[in-house]
Amino acid sequence: MTKAEVFEKVKKFIVDEFKVSEDQIKDEASFLEDLGFDSLDVSTLVQDVENMFDIRIPDEDLDKLTTVGELVNYVAEKKA
Amino acid sequence: MNEPSLVSMPTLTIGKLTASVPIIQGGMGVGISLSSLASAVAREGGIGIVAAAGIGMLEEDGTTNYEEACTRRLKSEIRKAKALAGSQGIIGVNIMVAQSNYKDLVMAAVEAKADLIVSGAGLPLSLPEYTQGSEVMLVPIVSSARSAHVILRRWYERYDRLPDAIVVEGPLAGGHLGFKPEELLEETLTLESLLPGVLQEAETFGNLKGVKIPVIAAGGVFSGEDIQKFLRLGASGVQMATRFVATEECDASPAFKQTYINARKEDIVLIKSPVGLPGRAINNSFLREISEGLRVPLRCPFHCIKTCNGQESPYCIALALVQAFHGKFKNGFAFVGANGYRISEIVSVNRLMASLKEEYQRVVQNLELLPPLLSPI
Repeated sequence: MTKAEVFEKVKKFIVDEFKVSEDQIKDEASFLEDLGFDSLDVSTLVQDVENMFDIRIPDEDLDKLTTVGELVNYVAEKKA
Repeated sequence: MNEPSLVSMPTLTIGKLTASVPIIQGGMGVGISLSSLASAVAREGGIGIVAAAGIGMLEEDGTTNYEEACTRRLKSEIRKAKALAGSQGIIGVNIMVAQSNYKDLVMAAVEAKADLIVSGAGLPLSLPEYTQGSEVMLVPIVSSARSAHVILRRWYERYDRLPDAIVVEGPLAGGHLGFKPEELLEETLTLESLLPGVLQEAETFGNLKGVKIPVIAAGGVFSGEDIQKFLRLGASGVQMATRFVATEECDASPAFKQTYINARKEDIVLIKSPVGLPGRAINNSFLREISEGLRVPLRCPFHCIKTCNGQESPYCIALALVQAFHGKFKNGFAFVGANGYRISEIVSVNRLMASLKEEYQRVVQNLELLPPLLSPI
């Protein structure tokens, strides 16, 4: 799965589930600072992304996933 | 089957454990609830909890060998508490997710055969993984139905298991609080208003596996009347901490306990803790100096809390709480629940439990004299 494919899937999911407008979803967008997420939203999103792509994201990696781009890259690498 | 007296408190079952009194003693760190208090509560039929927070600081090598001192002391307190509690006594630990050595503490608790692990101050998302293969009961603490949902869903989907109970801690609790400071000013935010949503989540997920997940109400529970109220609202038990400080068996120094006796309502204040959460404490000159900016940042020896900004904090909360534990308040302060000012004497745990039972019975008897309600409130 390419990075672009992962990005589109994650973007659509965030727009649908978290009521964020499409143009806010950029690589550099921080979940907490730009998208208005709180820590529970981030946990929920990570859980959804795990299910969507059938991957496991260990807790110790969570701190590294603060922006849309970081999450997308992480998933794309796992699915490469 | 034994017919229990109509008015006695119900038992509390958490997985394979059954406590004859539905009271969990809340974990209190640093050092306020160790083996003496936990075992006394367990002997009276409640569930005694050893607090793991900063426990290694009570050891001689606490500042030089912090992590090892923590697991060593935690294991020794659990073993001591279990020995003192007797074969029927239930002993658990409270381990905060935010502790940097969380996983090690969890594994130490399992090794020392704690009966249950109560875990809040963060989401214990991986707790089932760290305890795999053990029989320890797992009890997350939440402060909203949303956080309960996130934990339940994660445990169910990833580990095919559920919490053995859930503690819901409302805004009147002592110590660190799982709310934003502005939320604590909202009058509509109460334990009573949080409980139904958490009960709903527990029921929804419990049904998936055909189990009942008991929900424990916590935060400001003070009297037998309060216990009766929360059981009537659907809780299976309560967690109480502040009341147990004013007991002979509490592990804190006499001077610590005395601050509870002396505290007036206006002395109990909300503070901003260096770990990034609000907390409730008894105001004193130390806290006043901090709020006036008279304290300068300390060096952080061991970064014990993941979210603590040690370099910019005006003080180290772990050191301040250890000072308070020893009864030294020049550089320390005591956490307390919102109702702490109502405490006026130090009693034995036996006497405290007896008075809670009596109060509970009185309320239930009085209710029975009233005409039945058409529908439960």
